[in-house]
Amino acid sequence: MEQEIQDYQIQNEVSQSSTDEGYQVKLEIFEGPLDLLLFLIRKKKIDIHDIPIAVITRDYLEYLEKKEQINLDREAEFLFIAALLIYIKSQMLLPREQEVSQEDDPRQILVDRLLEFQKIKVACTILREKEENQLLRWKRTFMPPVAKPDELDLLDVSLFDLAETFFLIMKRKERENFRVIKGKDVSVEEKLKEIVDYLEKNGSMDFLEYFSNQETLEEALVAFFCLLELVKNHTVIAIQEQLFQTIRVWLRKDRPHHLPHGQSHE
Amino acid sequence: MNEQLKAILEVLIFISQEPLTLEKIKEVLGEVPDEELKAALQALQEDYASDSRGIQVIQTAGGYLFTTKPEHDQWVRRLLQIEKKTKLSSAALETLSIIAYHQPITQAEISAIRGVDSTYSLKTLLQKKLIKIVGRKKAPGNPLVYRTTERFLQYFGLNSLDDLPKEEEIAKILEEEKQSIS
Repeated sequence: MEQEIQDYQIQNEVSQSSTDEGYQVKLEIFEGPLDLLLFLIRKKKIDIHDIPIAVITRDYLEYLEKKEQINLDREAEFLFIAALLIYIKSQMLLPREQEVSQEDDPRQILVDRLLEFQKIKVACTILREKEENQLLRWKRTFMPPVAKPDELDLLDVSLFDLAETFFLIMKRKERENFRVIKGKDVSVEEKLKEIVDYLEKNGSMDFLEYFSNQETLEEALVAFFCLLELVKNHTVIAIQEQLFQTIRVWLRKDRPHHLPHGQSHE
Repeated sequence: MNEQLKAILEVLIFISQEPLTLEKIKEVLGEVPDEELKAALQALQEDYASDSRGIQVIQTAGGYLFTTKPEHDQWVRRLLQIEKKTKLSSAALETLSIIAYHQPITQAEISAIRGVDSTYSLKTLLQKKLIKIVGRKKAPGNPLVYRTTERFLQYFGLNSLDDLPKEEEIAKILEEEKQSIS
């Protein structure tokens, strides 16, 4: 957890998330209730498939009582599992006519969760080793400012990022009073050509700036669709360094000669 | 051995910032028999494996990439004046491995497996581009659906998702742990 906070400081991304650190409270070594349960089970050398519910429930509640200061958010999660344990315990007490089959065992739901969680924990330790190993290998990362951006980033700016930025601008625009020039229809073809011309002239484009300069809502909408079209068509490449930041747009060197809709821009 | 081909491959990998895939190599080189290509790549990797070399050719995220060798880590850090590279927090790593094994997956599903809220971890992972949003699930509330990225593979030095620790591997470790306790 400290690591996470430290991470934040290093990357200077504190702004939106620093308030969220409220619930990053240390509960001894336990990340969550399942961690604690697994710990108790191991400590008592209990077979996970045959948990003595009464014993485990007691140990678990004892631990919760010992903790005086549990952050409320986390407490709810710990209490949820406590409630589940007590529920299972009560189910076990009910008299039954026949021996219970495995599927009817009230403990099964907990066992399934613990087994799955245990698997993930082991996978984590293996991945952690791989991470440590990989962090020792450095790759070349230096990139000239307007070199051809890597394809990886292209893939990772999802439609959602684009849409999110778009709505951010729309929100800003809503607050402004802008006049609507009547009778001016903007066609997708014109806008496509305008964007490509702009890129050919200026090399790259600041998405946020360009769209805030659009005169009307309609025009901004059309421009946004055009950008999506150009990305799809492999004419341009769009990169966003971080969430909520502007998206920069470049023409691709290997772009097709046609604009979308078969329009030529030559 | 086709020495010239080996030299060209070295150039292509050197120039690439991200793992260079076999498809991309073929696209550039045109008609070269697969076997010849693979033999040349293999030879190149062997050349760099020598102790007198500080860099190596690794296979990661489905492509070839030049990286430094792990034993020289401290020299790189001294040059770049970096104390230590930051690792993922255990909460983030836990969330990430759940996504890796269960993708595509929603936040609620992740939290159900972990037993704790995962909002913060998801945010961190998104910022690091180790995961991405791939759409929405057709379920009540249309929750967002997450997947791991190529960068995730590269981060852990995996060639593909098939390289994730296997069920048997995990079972074996669990068995060993059990033995050591009793």
